[in-house]
This record gives sequence, C-alpha cells and structure tokens, in this order.
Amino acid sequence: MDDDELISVLPIHYSNSLSPNLHIHQFPLLSRPLQTPPAAAVSGKRIRARIKPITRRLEIHVPVDPRPEVWNGERSKSLGAARQEDDCEKNQDTGKMKQMEGEEPRLIEVRMRSELIPQEGAYMLGVVRNGQLHLQPINETHQFRPTLTYLDVMSRKSRRSRGDAGSDEDSDDGPPPDPDEPPPVQTAAKKEKKPLEVKEVQVSARKVADDKGNLQGGLSAVRREMLLAIRAEEEEVWQDLDFCDGETAEGHEAFEAVFSQNEEHLECKSDITAFLKDIEGL
Amino acid sequence: MADSTISTSNAGASSTPSGTPGPSVPKAIGSLAKKPSDVTRQGSQKLKFVPTLPSRRKKEEVKQEAPPPTIPNASTDRGRGRGRGRGRGGEGRGAAPRPVPVEMTASGPFAMGPALAGTSARRSAPRSNFTPIVPLGPGNATALGAGLSGAAAPSLKREKETVAPIIDEDDYSDPDEGVEIIDMENVRQMDWMAPESLRKERKEKKKKIQVKIEDPSSPSSIKKKEEEMNIEEVDLANALDLSESEEEEELEDLIDDFAVQGEADQDADIRQERLYFFQFPEPFPTFVSNIPLTSPTAMSVDEPPSDSHPRKVSFAADVKPPGPSGDPAGASTGPDAEQTKELPKVDGVIGQLEVYRSGAVKMRLSNGILMDVTGATQPSFLQQAVHLDLQNKRLHIMGEVNKRFVVSPEIDTLLHAMELRDQAEANAMPIDDTNLIKIG
Repeated sequence: MDDDELISVLPIHYSNSLSPNLHIHQFPLLSRPLQTPPAAAVSGKRIRARIKPITRRLEIHVPVDPRPEVWNGERSKSLGAARQEDDCEKNQDTGKMKQMEGEEPRLIEVRMRSELIPQEGAYMLGVVRNGQLHLQPINETHQFRPTLTYLDVMSRKSRRSRGDAGSDEDSDDGPPPDPDEPPPVQTAAKKEKKPLEVKEVQVSARKVADDKGNLQGGLSAVRREMLLAIRAEEEEVWQDLDFCDGETAEGHEAFEAVFSQNEEHLECKSDITAFLKDIEGL
Repeated sequence: MADSTISTSNAGASSTPSGTPGPSVPKAIGSLAKKPSDVTRQGSQKLKFVPTLPSRRKKEEVKQEAPPPTIPNASTDRGRGRGRGRGRGGEGRGAAPRPVPVEMTASGPFAMGPALAGTSARRSAPRSNFTPIVPLGPGNATALGAGLSGAAAPSLKREKETVAPIIDEDDYSDPDEGVEIIDMENVRQMDWMAPESLRKERKEKKKKIQVKIEDPSSPSSIKKKEEEMNIEEVDLANALDLSESEEEEELEDLIDDFAVQGEADQDADIRQERLYFFQFPEPFPTFVSNIPLTSPTAMSVDEPPSDSHPRKVSFAADVKPPGPSGDPAGASTGPDAEQTKELPKVDGVIGQLEVYRSGAVKMRLSNGILMDVTGATQPSFLQQAVHLDLQNKRLHIMGEVNKRFVVSPEIDTLLHAMELRDQAEANAMPIDDTNLIKIG
C-alpha cells in the first residue's frame, strides 16, 4: 500500500458534550423524510412528540394527510373513536382531543412508538466541517413504528357484537391462549364480561392477594414480571416534548454543540489490542 | 398484420385513435384490455404496434421537467436543512406541476369517471402547497434526502460523460380521452402520498443527467451535485442492486465524503453538513486531556502530565500541532466530571482521518491505533440524529444520517500490537530457575 497516495487528511475531533442525550432515530419502512404533509400543515398541524423518561419510550405523532383522495374520513372517525378508547385504557391520552368535544374524534395522526435497540459497538455521529471530522457518541438507538393498538379495541368491539363466532373481517381473535394461563371463560351472553376478562389477567398480576389470580392457577413468575413491567410503563405519565425541526434556533445550538471546541490533542488511554482483548469469551 | 390485430384487441376502443367520445362502456372494455401499466413496468414490452404518431405530450413534459426544477433548486439553496434531499425533492416537485394540465392518471381502473375529477382535484391542492414547504425541513417527495444508497454517489465522471437525452420516454399509442399513460417510475412524483416507485438503473443514469443539466446555475459545488446524486441512488439501493459496480462507487464516494472540504459558497444559515454514522468496535478507546488542571478537585479525571506514556507523542509529526488550549480544556473537563455521572466530558483532537487515492479510508488515532473505515450497509429508511433535551423538554432533530460507516481495527497493526504485547509479557516473566532453558 505504499504506492497508495494520501489524498487528504482530516483531523478527528471527539466530544461528548451532548451525552447522554444524543439519539439515533430509525424509522423502518419509512423512506421519506418525517414531515407534515402540506395539506395538514395548512390546518396548523405539526409533528409532536412525547416521552416516558423512565422507560425510555418516545412517541412521535405525525399528522396525516387528510385529503379525501388519500384518506377515508369515515373510517378515520371510527378508528378515532377506537383510539380514544384505547387511550383512556392505557393512560396515553394526548389531551389534545379536548378541543373537539363537539365533534366525533378522528384519527388525525400517526403515532410512532419507539423501541430501544441495543447498540452493537460504539456508535458515533460524525460531521465534517471545515476539513475536520467531529465525532459525538450516540447514546441510544430508537426504532419507531406506528402503533395500531386502537385496532385491538375495534376488534374487541366487533368480537363483542358478533359473539364468539369469530369475525371474518380483518381482525383476528387475538393471540393464541397462553399455556400458562387457563383458557379464558367465554360466555356469549354476558358481553360485558369479555373486556373484563381481558383485563382480569393483568389484574391478577398486580394484586398478589387477589383471589381470582390464585384461583386461576397463578401466572408464571416471568409472565407476572412482564405484566408488571407493562403495567408500570402504562402508568408512567407521558411528558410532552417540543418537536424541533432543524430550523429552530435551539436546534442550531444543539447542532453546534456537536462540534468540538477544543484543539487539544487528547491522549489515548487504550491500546489497539483492547479491541481483541475485550471480546467476551476470547 | 398480427400486430395490428393485437393492437386492436389490446387497444380496444382506443384502436380508433380519433378518440370516440362514446358511452363509458367501450372505454371500460378498452382500459381493461389494454393495461399499459403492465407494459411499462416490464419496460421491454412497450406497446408500439399502432403506427400512429407517437404522443408528443410526453416529450413536452420531459422538456418542461427540465426548466422548472431550476427554480425550486434555486429556492432550495436558500432553504434550510439537509441539502441533498431538497435538491432532488424540489426537482421532483418541480416536475410535478407540469402534468397538471395533462390529467395524469394511471390508466386502467383509475381512468374512469369520478376518479378523474378526484385526481384533478388532487393535483391542484398539493402542488401549490409544495413549494412553500420546500425550504422547510429535509428533502421530500421523490426520495429520502439522505443519500442512503449503498451505491452512493456515482462518480461524477460518469455523470459528465453520458450526455444522453434526458428521459427516453417510450412511445405509446394514443391514449383514450382522459386516459393518460404514466411511466411507473414516475408514479412517485404524482402526489405527496404517492407510493415509492422502484427505479431501474437505466432510468437512474438518465435522471442523474437530468439533474446535472438542470442545475447549472446553482452554486453547484461538487457536494451539492453529489447530494443530488445520492438522492437518485436511494431507489437503486431499494432495488437491492448488488452489482460489483457498487463497490467501486462506494470507495470513490468515501473520498467524496471526506475529501471535499471548505466550499466557500455555503450560506451560514444552511446546514449543509452531512451527518455520518460510524460504528466503532467496543470498547471505544478512552481519551483524556493531558493539560494540567487549574482546579485541584478534578485531578481524578485527568492524568498528570508527568505520567506520560512513551507512545504519547508517536503521531505528533502527523497531526497538527496542538493549539493553545490550556484552560478551556482543564475547565471543561474538570467541573463537568463531577456533574456527569457517566462520562467525563472529553473534547479534543483524537487523531486523523486519512483518505487514500485508492479509496481506502483510515483513521489513525493516537496511541498507535489504526482503523479501517468502510461503508456499511446503507439502510433504505429514514434515520435521524436527534438530541433530546429533557431540561427544556425539546427534541431537536439534528438531521438525517446520510451514510453509515463501519470502523474496524486495521488487522496488520492489530496483530503486530498483539505480538508486541505477547512478547512484552513473555519477557516480563521472571526466570528465576537457572535450570530452565528459554526456548524461542
């Protein structure tokens, strides 16, 4: 490689001034930028975000394009009602629907929920500026997918109304019964019991002294833990965030913080052999 | 003759190109039978049977496509956000207004009655809204303005060489009234909500040229063109084209990514910097500041300069001489170390990135660490770098990540270092038994 000519050299700056708050957000299957559709922007809708800081879960709400050519208004009403119900159940109401008390609730946004993805190796964000490469460590990686939990509400409703015959619509009967749990008691007559049954499982997880939980044979410990975690997450309150696009002044500041201010050469404490040595199991 | 019969059967009611304004029934049959969408998709089976004059409308649209994008491009220059997408997105939008008078709909089931009215309404509404949106946010419409392709930017040489006609619009037989033939690859430009269309490689190159021709007036730095090229290539990546040519382009693109420096024409308020994602092996080497601290409390963070490793200044010759950093370094690393529980704040130069003519990119960090930088698999989806500001309750979008790179230790250096270390360990072993014979 001696004849390989060196074209350019860029000094590498490293700074962790934005840690631990630098994230990479991935949107699988979304191949266009995250933007308010122009038709929705006209009516003042913007992208919003909220977070559950403890469970590290983010949600980004992207307004939909409500033009009748591409959006079914009628369906959005029924889905909107389902979503509102779902929100109340899971304590995730945005609180913004209060404006529309007089109207029926509609589906006006796509909610993208994040999953924290484990990082393989150390991720760095690099920006080239003025012939220098600036690196910042990335602390979390989130993948966002639209949440469609309101469909569960709808399928429950349709299941209720249709009895237990199963539905030939797009909703299925839900996941197969868990082997740890006893099969849920189905009574076609008592429709109100069904939603209660769905919740019963969770109730038994919370209340250890609950008779019903014991009667049902108890849940396996792992499953109980999982349900506890889910319940804890649901009970955590969402904190609203300002979704700032790249344009704002604050966004500027944050971006400028990526760049290292220091020209000092840092001494490295690690050796290249550390890469091999630190491989587990080697 | 067989052709003409085929054409009549295929074209159905449209076999009489004079466009019978008859009842809807013949049109229904005609559209079902013709299905030119199938034809365009395959590309090779264009309907060329009818010897009538080819539709001139296509060519006009093509030419019209050329001038309007310059206008959005100019506006996008002033705009904000990531440069790449806007260039292409503006162009995609620029192309769009042209078809408004031409009633572009996918022929077939959509050509019928009320759909026509619907689509025409659809046309007008978004188009007018597009351009104001142009300056906002990162790119739009046609592609993710992030240059996500594995194939990366095609070399600029190629772009300049082939000056073929802009878009080789295939000739179609005259369509019915109200039925417009749309190339499947252009579906994306029809509307904000239109689905992504897979682009063929052939079309790719032409679109690149189109961009180049349309963009002569912009202060076209290599970077800007390259950004637009990147956008073209997004769909190539979507198409999972794994040809070897990708690798060559990739190497060159690495050069372009890092070697292009200091375009003076960038406005101050436009964030033209592209974001790159680097994946380092664990553990990322720790760096500490070597400057003696003014505050005595922070000595735990920094090593006193007296404790200097012999390899500390091994690359002083290569890297720039350290600037007068002194107090800021000490002050920043000192108090911050107490505030942040996880990491002491580190800020400084850790090495250099070397770009070679062959396209190899290496990172030379201090302490003899040499790493290879290679392009990673480029995802086809959106990735954003985001800063979460919990104190101010804000989520700042820093921008889209253009390219991903994988950094791995350079094997020769690594093995050599391991060897040295093993030898050092071996030598360090005390040989106290004189009866032992040292082997090796």
